[in-house]
Amino acid sequence: MIQTFTQLDLIRFIYNETTTEQNRDIELALLCNNELMEEYKSLKSTVATLSEVSYTPSNSTLENILNYSKSTNLHTAH
Amino acid sequence: MNNIELSDSKLVSLYIKGNEESFEVLLNRYKSKVFTNIYLIVKDTYIAEDLTQDTFIKAIKTLRSGRYNEEGKFKPWVLRIAHNLAIDHFRRKKRYPTIVMEDGSNVFNTLEFSEAPYENFQVQEDTKKKLRSFIEELPENQREVILMRHYQEMSFQDIAESTDVSINTALGRMRYALINLRKKMKQHKIAYDSNIYPT
Repeated sequence: MIQTFTQLDLIRFIYNETTTEQNRDIELALLCNNELMEEYKSLKSTVATLSEVSYTPSNSTLENILNYSKSTNLHTAH
Repeated sequence: MNNIELSDSKLVSLYIKGNEESFEVLLNRYKSKVFTNIYLIVKDTYIAEDLTQDTFIKAIKTLRSGRYNEEGKFKPWVLRIAHNLAIDHFRRKKRYPTIVMEDGSNVFNTLEFSEAPYENFQVQEDTKKKLRSFIEELPENQREVILMRHYQEMSFQDIAESTDVSINTALGRMRYALINLRKKMKQHKIAYDSNIYPT
């Protein structure tokens, strides 16, 4: 089988940026190539781990914002 | 409030009429994007916290004053406020450089990155902190592509255009970033299945 995609296409595949046709080719190649499958699994699990890491402001910052909002609400009696 | 069904413009409209909950939904919807956007520019978590607060307070002031005229486009509007505040800070910082430690970190930036909500999740939180520190240790162009793809939900094409490189360069940076993170995780024995999701 001739591999028609690159390692960079594998990255696009992991991030769902490949076409349906490319997906079919890559899925087939993964089934036929153990080394490629191992790389895919490794990259995919790292991506999944990254989704557990959040870059969000702290709760105190969010509370400050919401408190400011409430303090400026003219529709609410204070 | 069901934040899946309500559009940004509907939430903005409700907020202007006095519904506080609608702003909370908008805040939760965009807090991460705003924070990451600022962080990418200022590269300091605590300054990013302050500027995130300033961004939303500026948004509140504009919405309350009736000067908001971008109905339906809340996201680009609030991200533009964030971007402008971050750039202003960056320019000011150039005039007044901050004191840095020997390792290059900001002298004041020694506190925790984010607050752990419950003690029961401490193990997971420790793992997440390590992962965040691994991301911080990546070369800047690799860290940038991770932040843009994962936390700003930009496509690789958008990242390529935004960073003025080819899409293959952006993809290559992501590949090396993932490989480097994997190596660091192995070195520190962080396993996706056993630590992130302890049984």
